[in-house]
Amino acid sequence: MKRLGTITTVTVLVLSGALAGCRGADNNTGGGGSAAAVPGVTSEPCPQAVDKTKGCIYLGTISDLTEGPFKALAVPITESQKAFWARVNKNGGIGKYEVDVTTYVKDNKYKADVHNQVYQEIKGKVLALAQTLGSPTTAAIIDDLRKEKIVAVPASWTSAWAFQDVILESGANYCVESMNAMDYAKEKYSPTSVMAVHYPGDYGADAAAGVKYAAEKLGMKFTAVQTGTGAETQAAAIQAILTQKPSLVIVTTGPAETAAIVGGTAARGFTGRFIGTSPTWNPGLITSPAKDALIGLYEQSAPWNSWATDSPGHKAMREALSSIDVPNDGYTAGWVWSYPLKAALQKAVEANQLTRDGLLNAAKSLTTVDYEGMLPSGAGNYAGGADGGQFRMTAIYKPDAAGPTKVSQVKDLFVGPTAKDFKLTQPCFQSL
Amino acid sequence: MRGRPLLYTSYASDMGLFNTGAKKAAFAVLMALGLTTPFLLADVELQLLALACATAIGAIGLNLVTGYAGQVSLGHAFFIAVGAYTAAAISGDPESRTLGFGIDNMLIWLPAAGIAAGLAGVIVAPLATRLRGLYLAIVTLGLVFVGEYILTEWDALTGGPGIGRQAASPALFGYHLDETDVFMTRDQKLYLLMFTLLVVFGLAGRNLARSRVGRAFSAIRDRDIAAGVIGVNLPRYKTIAFAVSSFFAGIAGALIYTISGRFDPGQFGLLLSVQFIAMILIGGAGTITGAVLGAFFLTLLPRFTRELPGLVPFIGGQATDTPNVFQLETVLYGVLIIIFLIFEPRGLFGIWVRIRNYWKAWPFSY
Amino acid sequence: MRQAAEAVIRGLGLGSIYALLALGFVIIYKATRVISFAQPAFMLAGAVLVTYLVGPLGFYLAVPVAAAATAALALGVERAAVRPMVGRPAFVVAIITLGVDVAVRVVVNAFIGLDVRHVGDPWGLSTVTIGGLLVEQRHLAMMVVTAVLVAALFAFFRYTRMGLAMRAASYDQEAALAQGVSVGAVFAMSWGIAGALAGIAGTFAAVGASVHQLLWIIALTALPVIILGGLDSLPGAVVGGLIVGIVQEVTAVYQSNWPWLGQNFSIVTPYVVMMIILLVRPYGLFGTREVERV
Repeated sequence: MKRLGTITTVTVLVLSGALAGCRGADNNTGGGGSAAAVPGVTSEPCPQAVDKTKGCIYLGTISDLTEGPFKALAVPITESQKAFWARVNKNGGIGKYEVDVTTYVKDNKYKADVHNQVYQEIKGKVLALAQTLGSPTTAAIIDDLRKEKIVAVPASWTSAWAFQDVILESGANYCVESMNAMDYAKEKYSPTSVMAVHYPGDYGADAAAGVKYAAEKLGMKFTAVQTGTGAETQAAAIQAILTQKPSLVIVTTGPAETAAIVGGTAARGFTGRFIGTSPTWNPGLITSPAKDALIGLYEQSAPWNSWATDSPGHKAMREALSSIDVPNDGYTAGWVWSYPLKAALQKAVEANQLTRDGLLNAAKSLTTVDYEGMLPSGAGNYAGGADGGQFRMTAIYKPDAAGPTKVSQVKDLFVGPTAKDFKLTQPCFQSL
Repeated sequence: MRGRPLLYTSYASDMGLFNTGAKKAAFAVLMALGLTTPFLLADVELQLLALACATAIGAIGLNLVTGYAGQVSLGHAFFIAVGAYTAAAISGDPESRTLGFGIDNMLIWLPAAGIAAGLAGVIVAPLATRLRGLYLAIVTLGLVFVGEYILTEWDALTGGPGIGRQAASPALFGYHLDETDVFMTRDQKLYLLMFTLLVVFGLAGRNLARSRVGRAFSAIRDRDIAAGVIGVNLPRYKTIAFAVSSFFAGIAGALIYTISGRFDPGQFGLLLSVQFIAMILIGGAGTITGAVLGAFFLTLLPRFTRELPGLVPFIGGQATDTPNVFQLETVLYGVLIIIFLIFEPRGLFGIWVRIRNYWKAWPFSY
Repeated sequence: MRQAAEAVIRGLGLGSIYALLALGFVIIYKATRVISFAQPAFMLAGAVLVTYLVGPLGFYLAVPVAAAATAALALGVERAAVRPMVGRPAFVVAIITLGVDVAVRVVVNAFIGLDVRHVGDPWGLSTVTIGGLLVEQRHLAMMVVTAVLVAALFAFFRYTRMGLAMRAASYDQEAALAQGVSVGAVFAMSWGIAGALAGIAGTFAAVGASVHQLLWIIALTALPVIILGGLDSLPGAVVGGLIVGIVQEVTAVYQSNWPWLGQNFSIVTPYVVMMIILLVRPYGLFGTREVERV
């Protein structure tokens, strides 16, 4: 036994000494430090290049494509982004490069550890992330994104992103969106009490915190009810609404749950108003059993105008996505989210600084982004910091059987007085 | 005696941990291999292997209660959650939103996590010892759902679903094991830590299995009433089985999430329990080696199923095609597990035994 | 008081769905001594089939056709994945059915696609007032359908040859084989009936709501139902389902009086009720006490 132990120890020492050099030469764990190659940028053309003389910039996408709860939104977002970058390539790419977002698309099953694993797999091969879906999932990789200076586009509107330089968020966050919804409701319906029915986490709690702040400012009584996913599990929320009878309910859940809540309470005689954040609507709800309740009592707040709007960007999007059967605003979201990354890439290429550092600096220094009319000028101010650079406008929509996404506009993008004076000093959901 | 490996000349050598030369040699080779791996593989793979090692500790725990003692427990996810949150709370930052006491010395939070989970196992045991078979399985499943609910509501500890919290940070008297420094990267250090702990707990598990307690477990699994008749105190040993398995689960829970650094209460549901059951069934129930093999197989499988669809051309690459690579990846995971259970009921360990017997009898193996 | 009575009626409606699912589990258990974790997938498959068939066929015709199709799917699964497993330990077979569940759900999810789909039922969320109580029509429909199906099953087991064969096989398979009962046909029949029941339960779970990927989680609540009713007891499954449904709805109404329970306590009440009942009766309310011999 002693002899065997000695043999083992000697073998280990010898092998580790001999092989210590191997690893360093095999893999480059420093993260894009060498001057020769920037990860994700090659001088060979992209696999489906339009112009084969240009180089290629690879962007990664990590999204919920099969079995997570957000698949219904994530798949359109991903498709829309592919169409966006294909259009960019068709119009000449970015400088000497075209952009590829199809090679490194990974599924995260909406789990933080899977998200982390697939991120580690594509990390060394992409320049930036064109999409990282989910808040707990992105939170699992945010430290690494910051360390490696990888710019990423999120697929949510939580206020936490305003505090991260590497994240290129677009549109008003849920907190501000709820404040604008409250201002709109105050003007139109004069409610005396408000209830926030919300998912937990930095989606629902963010909006609920905004409602709480606005309720204080506008002198309304505030209650919050946290609820879970699944239309069948809304019994407690429905009961809370029927017991406490608020005049206004701000809903921050998914579409099936919204239909259950609005329909369930209306069936039992509730007549208050509902305003839901943008992920609460799906065009299929217009034919659901709850449709009468939804048409009568529900409105949707949205960070930008919907699919059918007439603007250069919307028109280009509709042309690029003319092959889809059923439009929904997931496509619009994916398209709009891609503009800041395009602007940052253009700035970095023009400054001849197409590295991770250069891209991050370009992104941080953007004071405005051209959204081709989908968002007004003044949007995309990343240099303005967390509070100064916030975009604070919201639009209001109502269900309408005519129209491609089954909503029609009630009020165009506006800033309410509450949101205008609001100072963002910490992620909203922390102050709920 | 040399050349006569199965001739034991004393009781101690018969019951010993490494009673044959082959076992000693195999152990030595595995140790050597395991300790040199950090210098051979890239960080991405090391992270995966570290995760596999930590998961294997949990699988050994489940094997002790389900494979050795025959008590089917679908509640493993609950005990893993208890261990993970105990460790995270003890070593968490007191300044953050979630509960934390700031003691990040691993020698404190790691045993504490195990003991907290073990106590939870002891508390659950009285209900569990009254039940048998499928009733026990579903009650333990109920434990998972109740636990999930408690974690979802207890925001101060867990950060709330969708936000989550920092996991425990491993530090030994100030030396941080989850930070890269001049000597080794973060992933190398974590891998070595997990590997060492796996060896320690694997030996502990083997030792338990060959002791009096282990023999009592096997007796309970085979025929619990007969075991009671010959003097095995059933409630006592069933409680010990649950307590030990929960201890291992707590340790595993504390370790698994230090690798990714953040975790959220939605991860401790039915799926996690089923994954562990699948690990011990695929690896081979009733053996420590089987549990470890099963854990490694199931942890490394998603990596391979992600690569595989790239080689199959007629499956679409876009999420809107049917079928597409992502669906294939999900189905492949489930299908491989089914195929394994159909064709090799004794699991990976059974395959190993077949290979070993073939070579033992070679060239007369037929 | 009125609220409690309305909650009880809602609970009876919800409990009917649980009862249908639990009946499926119990029928398979009685015949094959295995818990089939594939029921959630059949539930989802039935609901999705109805959403596709309701267009051409109308609701009242689509539901039986979808139930028959789901029964055929269950038969196929049984033949392909479960029949080769005869003789293996029950737990291994349960894990295999779990794998089948995952595979079937992936396929069904592909058919759900991205849109919210509806079963096109005639009741929706409309209500009717009975004796001063506001009752949703869909809950009445659920109760009626469940009562009819339970009566039909009772008649089937009592008065038909196949029912007699299934009862015989559930007592003792070898003796039944000796009497000429085709145990293979019994297995197939039990899976088929369970699949059809799950499909109908899934359709009614989606009445007044929508069919989406996470519908299958309702089926998990059927597990505490079968335990508290007794794994091999059909009346136990029905009674257990109704009890769990009532407790869940009544808790939803009154849980705000005890805020320390959390905001959604009604979701875990099935498990709590199950554990309490098992402390008193380890084999469930109506389960047969297993006789263990050495």
